[in-house]
Amino acid sequence: MRPNIFMKDRVAIVGAGITKFMRRSLETPRELAWEAATQALDSAGLTLKDIDCVVTGSAPDTFDGVHFKGEYIADGSGGISKPITRVYVGGGTGVFIPDAGFWHVASGLCKKVLVLGEEKMSPAHPHPQYVFKYIWDPILERPLEPNLIWIFAMEMRRYMTKCGAQKEDIALVSVKNKRNALDHPSALIPANITVEDVLNSELLVWPVNLLDISPVTDGAVALVMTSEDVARKLTDTPVWVDGIGFTLENQHWYNRELSFPRYLNYAARMAYKMAGIERPWKEIDVAEPYDPFDYKELHHIEGLMLARPCEAWKLVKEGYFNRDGELPTSPSGGLLGVGNPIAAAGVMKVAELYWQLRYEAGKRQVKKAVHKAVANAWGDLMQAGTVIVLSN
Amino acid sequence: MMDMSFEKKGRLEDIVVWPGDQEVDKFVYTPGIHGTEFAKGLKDGKILGMKCKDGKVYVPPLTFCPDFSKGEIAEIEGDWVVITYTIVYEDMYGNFLEKPKVIGFLKPVNGEGGLIHYLNVPIEKINIGLTVRPVFKEERVGNINDIKYFE
Repeated sequence: MRPNIFMKDRVAIVGAGITKFMRRSLETPRELAWEAATQALDSAGLTLKDIDCVVTGSAPDTFDGVHFKGEYIADGSGGISKPITRVYVGGGTGVFIPDAGFWHVASGLCKKVLVLGEEKMSPAHPHPQYVFKYIWDPILERPLEPNLIWIFAMEMRRYMTKCGAQKEDIALVSVKNKRNALDHPSALIPANITVEDVLNSELLVWPVNLLDISPVTDGAVALVMTSEDVARKLTDTPVWVDGIGFTLENQHWYNRELSFPRYLNYAARMAYKMAGIERPWKEIDVAEPYDPFDYKELHHIEGLMLARPCEAWKLVKEGYFNRDGELPTSPSGGLLGVGNPIAAAGVMKVAELYWQLRYEAGKRQVKKAVHKAVANAWGDLMQAGTVIVLSN
Repeated sequence: MMDMSFEKKGRLEDIVVWPGDQEVDKFVYTPGIHGTEFAKGLKDGKILGMKCKDGKVYVPPLTFCPDFSKGEIAEIEGDWVVITYTIVYEDMYGNFLEKPKVIGFLKPVNGEGGLIHYLNVPIEKINIGLTVRPVFKEERVGNINDIKYFE
């Protein structure tokens, strides 16, 4: 079943490019953007002259330390003298950028769109973690000296109790993703680790240990999105964007059931409906759920309806989500293994699905045949959900 | 009528406030790949630019050219032209400056782009179109203030 979506053009992805993900890059944010953008253009067989419109995304300006980041990275993103848009929904930005690229093309406004996510977190001192503190309510919560990990720790604890999951069950996600990242040339912290390593790593905010978290990262990722007629001329194997979804749950996290991500579920239902997918747990072949923390991948697998609520942690134990499993998740290595340059991280996930659907992921290619794929990201004050569904 | 926020309250003491701060008070910016060369050049008393396929030399060097290809580092020599300028009489805090500062936007005669920098030119002589040259400090560390001013 496909609903009435008024699209002028069907949308394809025809190229992708990625910088190395680094802890402290020498490159400026503009240079990171340029590296990813040129790679994406080269892979699509296009030059900057061919591009009609540019869509960029970047998370808080406070990371890069430049208060007009959209314009600041515009020249490196190829946006000079072109219609350029910057979108921003916190951590959800990464998938929102190709979502916005989609409507640029689907509306018929632009035929060839360069889509780019950039983040350079390392300039902020004493530590970029402090930037996250300002998402808390300045009157009621900031006086308590909170940090971002508080939110995750409380949400993780709620998920563990509601779903009966133990720390060691959740740690398996970190083990899987860091291992997958060993095959990703851009990866910042790939590793062969054990559940014990995760449990014994530095305890930050219980129940969150150091190895449960993705790292501070600099990097950029770009895609080229085109209309169907252009895509058919450029490649025999375009990847189609079948559906997009983006929704906001309640404004604040007080009145929310933290064990199930409704912000994502609403967005996923929107995207699946557009894509004509009725049973995602059967129809999706490979997924890149947003994994800034290990339990978050499980949370998002459930929100994407790839497993029943509270069952993802059981399936991860069976190897169901491994690269050779029934439904591989984060075959890239995810944010936990490749790294988490906020807005670029989500685009990295979409780029991974693009390579998977073209069978170009090399050693990361999942074992099963792939036809349909889904990625998500999540952000703002933890209530913005963004989703994209792709097919080959 | 009850007090409304639009009734002017000039003093913080009269209203309920929750003080806050933002600890990210310092940033460490890297100048980039060719920007690092630019910084080294300043230390050596040179202004470096980037030569692109169109044959032009762009200042400052940004690694990538307007056509998106990678440029080559090249020194920029010769005069600079004052494109526009301003004269600063007060600092950020409203203090009157004994000696006004002249700030110019300067473009190299032999290149594209430009720099903003101080001008050491008597106020009555400063004008658009004036040609100037950089004067470097004796002690240089590799940043834009290694140029003392243009004159």
